[in-house]
Amino acid sequence: MTALRDNRAELVSAAVAGRVAPARIHAEAMASDDDGRIRLLPGTGGIALGVHAGDRAANWLADHLVPGASIEDADGTPAAAGPLHLLSCIGNRVRDAAGRGIGIVAGKRGGLAPGFWAPQLVGVEISDAVAARLNPEDRIIVETVGRGLKLLDHPEITLANLSPRLLDALPLTQANGALACAVCAIVPPEAAGAGLGQDSWVGDLEITDERCLAGSVADLHFGDMVAFADIDSNVSRFYRPGMASIGIVSHGPGHAPGHGIGVTILLTGPAERLIASIGQGGMGATLREWSESLLE
Amino acid sequence: MAIDLPASNAARLVTTRLKAQIQPAAANRVVRPDGMLQTLTGQGGVITGIGLGSVAGAWTGDHVEPGISLGHPDPAANHAVRLLSCVGNPVTVLDGPKAGARGVVFGKHGAVLAMFAPDDLALLAPGEWVAIEANGVGLSLDAIPDLVCHSCSPALFERMIEPTENGQLRIKVAAILPAIAAAAGIGMPSSMFNMDLHTSSAPVAELARQLRFGDLVAVMDQDHRFGRQYRPGWAMVGVVSHGTAIGGGHGLGLMTLLTAPADRLLLEISDTARLDTLLTLPWGAAS
Repeated sequence: MTALRDNRAELVSAAVAGRVAPARIHAEAMASDDDGRIRLLPGTGGIALGVHAGDRAANWLADHLVPGASIEDADGTPAAAGPLHLLSCIGNRVRDAAGRGIGIVAGKRGGLAPGFWAPQLVGVEISDAVAARLNPEDRIIVETVGRGLKLLDHPEITLANLSPRLLDALPLTQANGALACAVCAIVPPEAAGAGLGQDSWVGDLEITDERCLAGSVADLHFGDMVAFADIDSNVSRFYRPGMASIGIVSHGPGHAPGHGIGVTILLTGPAERLIASIGQGGMGATLREWSESLLE
Repeated sequence: MAIDLPASNAARLVTTRLKAQIQPAAANRVVRPDGMLQTLTGQGGVITGIGLGSVAGAWTGDHVEPGISLGHPDPAANHAVRLLSCVGNPVTVLDGPKAGARGVVFGKHGAVLAMFAPDDLALLAPGEWVAIEANGVGLSLDAIPDLVCHSCSPALFERMIEPTENGQLRIKVAAILPAIAAAAGIGMPSSMFNMDLHTSSAPVAELARQLRFGDLVAVMDQDHRFGRQYRPGWAMVGVVSHGTAIGGGHGLGLMTLLTAPADRLLLEISDTARLDTLLTLPWGAAS
């Protein structure tokens, strides 16, 4: 394949400080499931021990489970997406207060109504060795880079939440002026739920129904690539026939109505220029390998 | 042969007097899908010149709420205002130059929205207080337990539904929209906030063009019993509450009034499916 040309040489790298988010129960949020039953399950904030990128997303009894450590801006309310959230890109390296690499940004959670509806979290893939010593509210630093990244030969495609490092690893191919991406599921626009109407850089867009155009929602793993048909994520996430949005599975199922597995958007463009096809769309093993390699 | 309304539990519903305050106006800075930043009149404040029955898409603004927008500075009291107020509930002004003026709850967004006569709106202002006679939460029909009402007063409910011989409820609506109309508001509580409509693309754009504030509108394949979600075979009926919005995934605001399996309902398009024809407005004629 012809090399993808991009503008990474002009991107700014910024160290952004934040903290490991504490586990929180948001009393204002609904805890009922699709059938009205109250279900209070873990999953928001804190550190999910033993849960990793590449694991099956529906494996645990949890609500919006983010693998590894959930981090956030240390200033402001948990409902606001601050600079840590807005600059972090998937594939960015995360270090602790002592300067040791601890993990790799692997997803975002939030975007239901940023500003007044918590939480807005960034997920970090961490090894079990790091998880054993990391605590909620520990200071962390994200080495952010990726905001502004563009594909020079594909001006109709917008990138979001995507580091140059992950771009190089994505299952992309170029043909006839279009960019094709392997994904594990293609979801119809009706199944796009919580996260509609919000900034594509905040949180995720959730899959509210198991009916797929191709592939399977039930079998999705953390780190799998997923496409939404007829969803535009150029500025905010919304229904626009003829557009496609492709992202990465960042959190597990949410049980409240209109919620489900979360997908953080990475690419969006006209469907004839950004082609999703079922294939080897799992990036979880790569993210986990990058995180493990920080220990060496 | 006239058919009786199915028995409801309206007689057992509690009326609570809530105190609420007119919220300040907002100027919304929003990035449009084409990347342009625009600042427009937003939600809140006292909006004059737009009434129930005004074409909702005819105004330049972002989430504009006609009439007055109500909330409470104490978060828990505000939660009660947002949850307990129902469309059709009476509102009385408690202070300011229009103390004693009477209006009606017509919708919800983040705030509870109430309409008054134009002469009253002309002198109402943010910071003034009102009382809402809240009644309607818990409304249900014995015969149709899977019909769930939200924010719907018994007074409105009894006028918007009509029994039919086969047991379905006939509801007249201004438009019937497909599931893809459902935008921001999916995944949020169905008894608070509202659901924006994707009004920028066909076919919803055409169907929504003539919608008016206070219109009853149905969206298919939506289950709003315990929250808002896509579920084939269900339907919701709501009321047009706030105006257009310029961000992608935002548009006219539709506040949920009821939801049920679609085969329980007989939805009929009508040009009188509006609050200003269904409700007895305290100031008389439609504004």
